[in-house]
Amino acid sequence: MPSKVQSPRSHKYLHGEYQTFKKSVEEWTGKTINDEDLNRGIDILNKNRRLLKKIYELRRSDKPPITGLEAMEIVVSSQFVDKREHTKLLSETLKELEEYTPDKETGVRLMKIGSEDDDRDFLKMVESLGATFVTDDHCTGSRYFWNETKNGDDQLAAIATRYIERPACPSKDWPERTRIPHILDLAKQYNVQGVILAQQKFCDPHELDFPSIAKSLKEQDIPSMQLEFDVTVPAGQFQTRVEAFLEMIREEELF
Amino acid sequence: MIKVVLLDDRKTVAKSNILSGFDQNASVESALNTAMQQIGIIKSEITNIAATGVARKVIYLQPPINANIETAEVLADIKGAIDIHPSARVVIDVGAEEGKAVRCDEKGKVIDFVSNERCAAGAGVFIEAMSRALEIDVQDFGALALQSQKTIPMNSQCTVFAESEVISLLHSNITKEDIARSVNDAIAGRVASMTRRIGLENDLVLVGGMAKNVGYVDAMKRTLQTDVIVLPEPEFIGAYGAALTAAEYQQK
Amino acid sequence: MEIAAKYPTERLKCWGKAKEIRKKYYEDYMNAHDSGGLRMVGGAWSFSAIPSGLGDDIFSLTGEPYGANISFNKDFSIKCLEAAEKHGYARTLCAYMRNYWGSILLDKYCLTDGTIVDGFPKPDFIWQDHICCSHAKWYQVVSELEGGIPQFCIDVSVGPYNELNENRLNYVVSQMNDGIEWLQKVTGRDYDDDKLIEAVNNECRSTSLWAEICVLNKAVPAPLDEKTIYALYVLGTILKHSKVVADFYEEVRDEVKDRVNRGIAAVPNESIRVMTDTQPPWGFLKIFRYLEKFGGISVGSLYTFALIGAWEDKEDGTWGPRTTPQQQGIEIKTREQALRILADWNLSKPEWQHFYSHEYKSEMMLRIAREWKLDGVLLHYNRGCEGLTLGIAENRLAIQKAGIPVLAFEGNMGDEREFDEIRTTRQIDTFMENLRKR
Repeated sequence: MPSKVQSPRSHKYLHGEYQTFKKSVEEWTGKTINDEDLNRGIDILNKNRRLLKKIYELRRSDKPPITGLEAMEIVVSSQFVDKREHTKLLSETLKELEEYTPDKETGVRLMKIGSEDDDRDFLKMVESLGATFVTDDHCTGSRYFWNETKNGDDQLAAIATRYIERPACPSKDWPERTRIPHILDLAKQYNVQGVILAQQKFCDPHELDFPSIAKSLKEQDIPSMQLEFDVTVPAGQFQTRVEAFLEMIREEELF
Repeated sequence: MIKVVLLDDRKTVAKSNILSGFDQNASVESALNTAMQQIGIIKSEITNIAATGVARKVIYLQPPINANIETAEVLADIKGAIDIHPSARVVIDVGAEEGKAVRCDEKGKVIDFVSNERCAAGAGVFIEAMSRALEIDVQDFGALALQSQKTIPMNSQCTVFAESEVISLLHSNITKEDIARSVNDAIAGRVASMTRRIGLENDLVLVGGMAKNVGYVDAMKRTLQTDVIVLPEPEFIGAYGAALTAAEYQQK
Repeated sequence: MEIAAKYPTERLKCWGKAKEIRKKYYEDYMNAHDSGGLRMVGGAWSFSAIPSGLGDDIFSLTGEPYGANISFNKDFSIKCLEAAEKHGYARTLCAYMRNYWGSILLDKYCLTDGTIVDGFPKPDFIWQDHICCSHAKWYQVVSELEGGIPQFCIDVSVGPYNELNENRLNYVVSQMNDGIEWLQKVTGRDYDDDKLIEAVNNECRSTSLWAEICVLNKAVPAPLDEKTIYALYVLGTILKHSKVVADFYEEVRDEVKDRVNRGIAAVPNESIRVMTDTQPPWGFLKIFRYLEKFGGISVGSLYTFALIGAWEDKEDGTWGPRTTPQQQGIEIKTREQALRILADWNLSKPEWQHFYSHEYKSEMMLRIAREWKLDGVLLHYNRGCEGLTLGIAENRLAIQKAGIPVLAFEGNMGDEREFDEIRTTRQIDTFMENLRKR
C-alpha cells in the first residue's frame, strides 16, 4: 500500500501490486480468481460497508438509536466475522433500529477520534455520565467502511482507487491535511458538541495529527479534550476529567 | 543493607547484616567489625576483601576498608549460588531496592543478565510500602498472603499509586490476606517478566532479601509455572559469592 | 583493572577538515540568502542529488543531523524538547523531530560549536522522502510552524531491495520526475540535467568510498573507533551528493589505509571488539571513552556502516563497497538514467532493508560480527527512533543464539531525560567484566 496516496502515481503502483498479489493468492490456494469472483467479492464487501454507513446515519438524529459502545461493537465485529454473516445480522439490526427509540437520554453529543478503538469500559463509562458518542473518526471505526469500491472495467484498479481515496490514515495524510475537512464535516453532520481525542500511546501518526486537529476544532468552536490511552488505563482519573469536560460543555450550552 | 561474609578455607565463619547509614564507609566498617568480633580477629588478618553491590566503589581501594577486589553483583550472585546449588542455571535476586536475574551455563559461565534499579514496584520497597498501608509487619507479609486463595488484579503500575489503591481495596472490604497476595503477585509478575528476557532454565534459584517472603516465593512459582529453589539465608548469597572471588584470588 | 596499551596510536589527520566541512555546512544554510541562494530542508535519505540540478547555491539543513547536533548540546536540547511538548507533541515521538521543532518554536539556530544564534533560518522549500511514519509528517508540521512552506515528499515504501521490480522502481522514479517539475515551478529556476548527473555520480562515489573505509576497520587493531567514525560519517548524511565530500572520503580512505598498513590503532589497549546499534545517545558519547577503560572498542555498527554506505557481496563472499556506475564504465547521459540509478542505489541501502523484516537486520549484524571479528555487541534500545529500533529485540535474541554476548541498554538518541548514565555505566561494568572472563 503506498503512503503517498496524494500522488497521482500511487494508483498505478498499487494496481501493479494487486496484480502481483492476485497471482500469489492464486498460486497459494491453487484456484484462479476471475472477473466474476472479483465482482462477487467487491459486492460482498460493499454491501457490508453500505449497511454500516446506514446504521451510522441513524445516529445523526436527535435521539440516536444506538450508543457509541454498540456502534463500536458492530463495526469491530465486522472485522472478525465473515462479511456475509455479518451483513445478515446488520440487515436485521437495521430493521429493528428504524423502529426503535431509546429510553436513554442522548445528553451531550460526542465524537471520538483516534487510531484503534476497542476499549468498551471507557465508552461505557463516558456514556453513563450523560453523554453519547454519535460518531467517530477511528481506524477501526468509520474510516474502516466509509467508502465503497466503485464500479469499473478493471476491478483491481477499482479496488485500488477505493483504498487510495478512503478517509486517510494520518501516516498517509500528507502533504495536505485532508483529515481536517473530513472531521469537521462529520462533526457538523452529526451535530457534535464535543470531541474526545483518544491518543493511543506509541501510535506516532496520530500523535502527529492531534495538535493540528485540536487547533482546527477550536477554530470552529468545538471543544475537545485529549486522553492518553495505553494497555492499562487510569479509569478513575479519566472519569474525573471526562466529567469536568462534559460539565464545561453543558455550561457553554446555557449561554 | 550491608552484608559481610568472612570465609576461612572457603567456609563461612562469620557474617553480619546492617542497615546502611548516610555515611556508607562508616556503615561498612561497622558491619565488618561486627563480623570480625564474632571470631575474634582483626583486619590485618584478612587476606583479601572483595566489594560488590551498588556502592562498591565507595570501599574499593578506598580507606578505611581498602577492598582490593571488586566484582559485579550478578557475577557474585552466580558464583555464590552455584557453589551451594551446582545445578542453578537462573538466579533471581530481589533486594530492597533492586531486582536482578542472571543466567549461566553448566560451567557457571554467565550467558546473560538483566536488572531493574528504576522501578520501586519491582523491588522490596514495594512490600514495605504495602505493609504500611495494611498496617502489618513486613516480616508477617508473606505468611498473611499464603492465607488467601484468590488474587485481586491490581491496576496501579506505580508504588505510590498502588498504596492508594490498597486503601481503596480495604474500604471495599477486601480482606488483608487477599490484598497481601495480590501485592505479592504483582511484584512476582514484574520480576518474572524481567527474568523471561534472559530465558528460563531449571534450576531457578531465588536469592536476596525478598526470597524470605514466603508469599512472594509462592507467587513466583505460580507465575513462572515451575518450581523454584530458595537458598538458605538468601540475602547473603551475593556477599558469599564475592567472598569466594576473594578466596580464589588468594590461590592464584 | 586498567588494561595496558599494546599498539601505537596517532590522531586522525583529516579530523580537522571534517569539522570544517560540517561547520561550513551549517553556516552556508544560515547565510544562503546573502548570495542569492536558496534554503532547502529535508531528511538525510531524501535524494538530495536531485535539487542540485537547480544550481550550485542550494544550501540544505538536513533534519536528522541537525536534530543530533541539538541533542549533543544538552541544555539547548531540553529547551527545544519542552517547547515541542508545550505545543502538544507527545514525548514518544521521534526525538530528532521534537528537537528540530523546538528550535523553530524558540526561533533559534544551533551551530556546530554549540553557539545558539537568534532566528531560525526559514527554509524556502521542503524536499523530503517518507522512510517512516514520521518523515513526511515531520515537515508537514515544520511547514505549519513556519506559516506554510512548499513541500514535496517522495514515497519510497516499495519493499526490500531483493524484491524490487519494475512497477516498484517506476513508482519512485516517476515521483522523482514529478519532483523535478515541482522544483522548477516552486523556485522559478530551470533544471540542469548535467548537474543532476554530476551529483548522482558524486553520491555513488562517496557512499561506495564510505563502505571502503568501514571495511578497513576489519583490521586488528582497528584504525578507527566508532566515536571518531560518527564525526566522519555525518558528512555523508548531509552532503553525500557533493564533490567536496566525495573527494574528502577519498582522503579519509587513503589515510585509514595507511594506518592499517602501519598497524596504527584508534584505541591503543584494544582487547575487546564490539559493535553497537542504532543512533547513540548523542548527549552521552563519553560511554565510548568509558569502554576504553576495559580495552574495549566499538568498531562501528550497522547504523554507521550502512546508513550512508553502499554495499554488495564481493567475489570472496565478504561484504564490501558497491561498485559504482563509473567503476563499471557506465556513463550517465540522461535525466531518466540518472534518476533510475539514484533510485536503485538508494533503495539498496542496507540500513533500509530491516524496515521490512528483522531477519534481514539480524543477518547483516551477524555478518558484521563475523567479518569484523567481534567479541560482543552493545544494543541501544533507542526510544527516540522507532524506525531503527524496529525488531531490535529479535536482533538481540538472534545474536545471542549465535553465541555472541549482547548488552542491551535503554536510552534515547535525542532526549537526555531517558538515558540513565549511572545505570548504563554499571551495566557496561558487568558486561565487560564478563567478556574479559571468557
